[in-house]
Formats: sequence, C-alpha cells, structure tokens
Amino acid sequence: MTSVTTAHSVVEPSVTTRRFAGSLVVLYAIITMIPLVWIMLTAFKSPDDAISYPPKVMFKPSLEGFCNLFTTRSRQTPEFIRSLGPPQGLCDGIARDRNMVVAGPSNYVPRFVNSLIIAFGSTVLAVALGTLSAYGFSRFRVPLKDDLLFFILSTRMMPPIAVAIPIYLMYRTIGLSDTRLGMILLYTSVNVSLAVWLLKGFIDEIPREYEEAAMIDGYTRFQAFVKVVLPQATTGIAATAIFCLIFAWNEYAFAVLLTSGNAQTAPPFIPIIIGEGGQDWPAVAAGTTLFLVPIVVFTVLLRKHLLRGITFGAVRK
Amino acid sequence: MSVDLTPSIARRGLADRILRRAPLEAIATTIIAAGVVMLMQPLSLTLYSWSFATTLFGTVMFTIVSKVRE
Amino acid sequence: MNELSASSRITYRAVMVRPGLARRIRGLSDRMLAWLFITPTIVLLLAINIFPLLWTIYLSFTNYRANRANVPTIWLGADWYQSILTDPDIWAAMQVTAHFVIWTVVIETVLGFGLAYLIDKKFRGHGMWTTIILLPMMLSPAVVGNFWTFLYQPQIGLFNYVVAFFTGRAASSFQMLGDVTLSPWAIVIVDAWMWTPYVMLICLAGLRSIPDYIYEAAEVDRASKWRQFWSITLPMALPFIMLAVLFRGIENFKMFDMVNLLTGGGPGSTTEVASITLKRAAFESWRTGYSSAFAIILFVTVFGLANIYVKALNKVKSR
Repeated sequence: MTSVTTAHSVVEPSVTTRRFAGSLVVLYAIITMIPLVWIMLTAFKSPDDAISYPPKVMFKPSLEGFCNLFTTRSRQTPEFIRSLGPPQGLCDGIARDRNMVVAGPSNYVPRFVNSLIIAFGSTVLAVALGTLSAYGFSRFRVPLKDDLLFFILSTRMMPPIAVAIPIYLMYRTIGLSDTRLGMILLYTSVNVSLAVWLLKGFIDEIPREYEEAAMIDGYTRFQAFVKVVLPQATTGIAATAIFCLIFAWNEYAFAVLLTSGNAQTAPPFIPIIIGEGGQDWPAVAAGTTLFLVPIVVFTVLLRKHLLRGITFGAVRK
Repeated sequence: MSVDLTPSIARRGLADRILRRAPLEAIATTIIAAGVVMLMQPLSLTLYSWSFATTLFGTVMFTIVSKVRE
Repeated sequence: MNELSASSRITYRAVMVRPGLARRIRGLSDRMLAWLFITPTIVLLLAINIFPLLWTIYLSFTNYRANRANVPTIWLGADWYQSILTDPDIWAAMQVTAHFVIWTVVIETVLGFGLAYLIDKKFRGHGMWTTIILLPMMLSPAVVGNFWTFLYQPQIGLFNYVVAFFTGRAASSFQMLGDVTLSPWAIVIVDAWMWTPYVMLICLAGLRSIPDYIYEAAEVDRASKWRQFWSITLPMALPFIMLAVLFRGIENFKMFDMVNLLTGGGPGSTTEVASITLKRAAFESWRTGYSSAFAIILFVTVFGLANIYVKALNKVKSR
C-alpha cells in the first residue's frame, strides 16, 4: 500500500459514519454502566434513601452502609443509650441515631481477608506451575503434547457443581473441608489450565535464538530458562497472574458449596448481609463496591491482554 | 507374496480415502452437536433419553479420530 | 530429539565441574527437564480433577449418600442414568437451560457483533469506551446476580422504575424475579448485560484480522457496502463468532452462580437450569449417587462441546 492510498484509503470510514458509530457505542456504554454506578451510589445512601420510590438520584451521602457492613449492632432503649458516654467513632454515632449500639465487628473483614489469601495463594501457585509447564510444552517435544494440552484445558471447562460433589467427599475424608489450603489447591487446579495455555502463547513468542545464544555462552538449559526466558516473559506472567487473581477473586460456586465459615470468601458472604427486616441494601452495596473496585482497576491495567485471556491465548490481536 | 501385494495396496488406498481426519472429525462434531440438541429439545422424550449415548459416542469418536493421521 | 540438544550437550560438559544442586539440574537432559517442568501440573490436575472425576463415575453406579456414609454401598449399574434420562422433570430442566442458552447466545452475538462492527469504525476515543464496555464481564457473576436482585425489586428497583417510566405501567405491577413468565427473561437480561462484551471483544478481533486489501479490491470491483458486508466481513469474521458462540454456549450450559443468586431456580422451577437441579440433588437432597450420574451426563456434554471448541480455537489460531 502506498502512502497516497493510506491517506485517502477507500476502507477508511467517513467522518459521519464514525460519529454515528461513536455515538451508538457511547450510548451502549452509558446504559451498561448504569447498574454499576447505581450500586456504587446505593453504597453511600441511607437505608431510607436506598428504598425510596421513585429512586433517588440526588441524596445526602451517608456512610451508614459501610458502617453496617463492618459492624454488628444491637437495638437498645433510648434511656440506655443516653446513659452511655459520647459515641465512640463515626459508626457508633450513626448507630445511636437509630437507637442501636455497635456490638462488634462483622464478618466482612475476615471474609475479605480469606478472599485475599485464597486468591493470592492460588495465583502464585498456578502461575509458578503454569510457567514451568508452559515452557516445557513450548520448547520440548513432549509425547502426546496435544492430548495433554487438551486434557489441561478440559479440566477448566468442567461444570463446577459436578466437580464439587467428589471434592466435597474427598476434602471431608482428608480434612481439607472449609480450609483455606483446600480452597487454594482447588482454585490452583482450575487456574493452572488457563495459566499453561496463556503462558504457552507468551513463551512461544520469545524467539528460541535467545536461549540458544545463552547456551552457546555456557548457560545450561535451566539457567537459560531462568535468566533469559523468564525476564522476557514478565509481561505475560503478570497478565496471566491478574487473570488468575480475578478468577479466584470472583469464584462463587465452589466457595458456597465447600466452605461454611472458616475459609468462606467474600462472594458467598455479601448476598447474606441481612439488616432488620430483610436485606440491608446499602450495606450489601457497600460490600459489593469494595469487592468490585480492585477488579475495575485490574481490568484497566489488563485491557491490552483481555483478548488473549478470554481465548486461552489463541487470539493475540 | 506378489499375489498378495496388489489387493493390499488397493486396501490401503481405500482406507486412505475413507480414514481421513477432516471428514471424520466433521462427522464426530455433527454427532456431538446432535446429542446436545437431543438433550435440550422439547419435542420427544425418546430423543432426550438417547441424547447421552449419542454425545458419548460422538465424543469417543472425536477422541479416536483425532489420532488418525492428517 | 531437539534441535537445541547439540549445543546444550556441549554446555553440560563445559560446566560439569560445579557441585551441588546446580550441577544436578545441569546434568539433566532436555527430556528430563521437560518432564520435571510438566509433571507438577499434571499431578495436581490428576489429584484435584481426574481422581475426583473417576470417583464420581464410580459413585454414579451406586446408591451412596454423602449424609449416610454408614449405609452399605450397593452397586446399581446404570439405574441412575436410566432414571435421569427418562425423567420428565430433568428433561424440563434441560429445556429451561436451553431457553437460557439459546436466548443469551443469540442476544449476545447480535449485540456483541453489532458493537464490534461499530467500534471497528475507529471513532475518537474508541479505546476508552471499549474498556468501559468490557467492565461487566470481569465482575463476579455471584455479586452481579446479587445486585441485580436489588435492581429487579418490584417496588424500589431501578429496573422496574425505568420500565415503568417508558411503558407507563406501575412499577410494582410486575415482578421480574417472582413471575413465571418473566423470570426466565430476567436471567437472560442479566447474562446478556454481563457477557455481551465478551462476544464483542472476540468479534472485534475477527474484524481486525480482515486485511484492508480485500476491501480495497472489492472497492475496485465496485461491490456495494452491503455486498461487502455479506461476502467479506461476515464470512471472514465467522470463525471468531463461532468461537464466542461455542464458549458462551458451554459456559451458560453449566451456569450456576448468577442464576442461583438471582432466582435460586424459582419461582417453582421456572429458572431451574441444569446446574441448579444438580446442586439441589447433590447438596440439598444428598442423593450423591444419583447426582453423580447427572454430573457425568452434564460433564460428557461439556467435554464433547469442549472438543469442538478447541477445534475452533485452532482454526482461529491459524489465522
């Protein structure tokens, strides 16, 4: 193609087409964002504002949702509350306006911490195992390579409930039920398939000549892997890690079936935040918002690699 | 020996023509798809009853066929 | 064995003098190293995926119940399979699943391809808007299902308010999650909201893989835009569309988390997709043998579709 045809290429859409396309896409983006924005707004509403009709767009911001998320409260008589000293902290003050006192912290923080530990633990394991296997599959002639790769991928496609039945029995027998270690192992096994496929794609792109040169310089194959391939694959490893992290962070089916308290993560916990007389929507919204913010950040960080991630590394743009 | 040679070549030729990967894979894919449709169609309970066998057959066939040389 | 082994053999000899672990690793052949790298993954998958799968197959032929482990286990043969595959209730659950799978895939494909087609026009700021559109698919399906129950509340929910605003009906006159005719659509809407971006992203890759010179040749031949769309754009993006359709089909066939939180299968069993039926049998009625057989039926279906999916992946990869 010459520079002349690039400047006025026949395939370049006209300005009108672009504007039209742009406005439709922007319209869709705005509509699709409304539910998310709404839930984030609800997090800052008072319970009365959250359930008002018609729905309130303008409201007086309140931190009651967050307070209710982090604390448990008990109802007291106004006389009892008056007999107490000044409120301790913001949340106690909000609770006292509703004739309640803060009784203690809620389970949200421990569940959130469980989510963090399990997500990071399984990600580190899955990426470590995945990097080694991906290198093995990428560089060596492995017997039955395609079958092994398909087997690895197919484990990710299994219906979670179908896997949960025997895992439940197995964990009960070996004492891993409702433990973080059990969940970490389970999520690792689901994530490792994605890690192998994604990382194989990334490592395939690193020219073999780099290692060959290093090996001629006296490096062994293993040294070449550590000192040449790994640094080259950093971006790929980081992107893979974020994908694994997001999966483990979002997972619900295994968590709700295999954990009950000790190792429960945030996704099964958020829906069961109950206030007086039904779900405490501002608290649920606050929990949801805190839970979703890391994902929003990660999505922005990952936007260049999303396509690879969702196609197991097959489509690279 | 020389008598046997001709038919064996002919047989190989025939096998080569039938046992090619791409068409066999396409057949297996069709069988799997048919099984899935049978599983979820609202028309006939009999078809539903045979869906699992069909899908299983298609899947086994696909696995075997993928070993056939291109 | 490998084109690199000649050079690596030279290396081994050159550095054999150093002691310890490093030397032992150094002494490994490529073949050994390959197995050393791959084995841990395979072992983990065998322990956490394949062993349980084999156990499920065994259980599916027995009367085992997880909540009554003391009852002696009896071999039943294929009884469970027979009873599941002739059970009209399970058949009904499969049709609920079919409704969900077909409509979500159709809506997501049409919307997703449309969006990709528009984004491919490369208007100003398309990168930023694409990222914004992609957000829903990265979120936790469970959390999404949960907050949509809030939007679907008949009296206070935003969804009902918006529908009421545009149609003039009273917002409390319909319940998206409590009505037998509306609830199957309620789950379709949420899934479409969440996963249209997924189809869009793959379709966009398909559209971008079409080289410009094909369109230029078509322009030279004076093919109309309409003609170009049907004879160039669509056929060339088709493998990508197939990939997205297959993956969404598989994922929605086994959909559990979002539906479980939105409706839990209700009202009645109108949104009881296969995974929810399975969960009820396995973890509420504790019919372990029976649910194992059902799990195997679902698993074989997914496994069969996964074969086709990988074939589609390879097709796209070769582009």
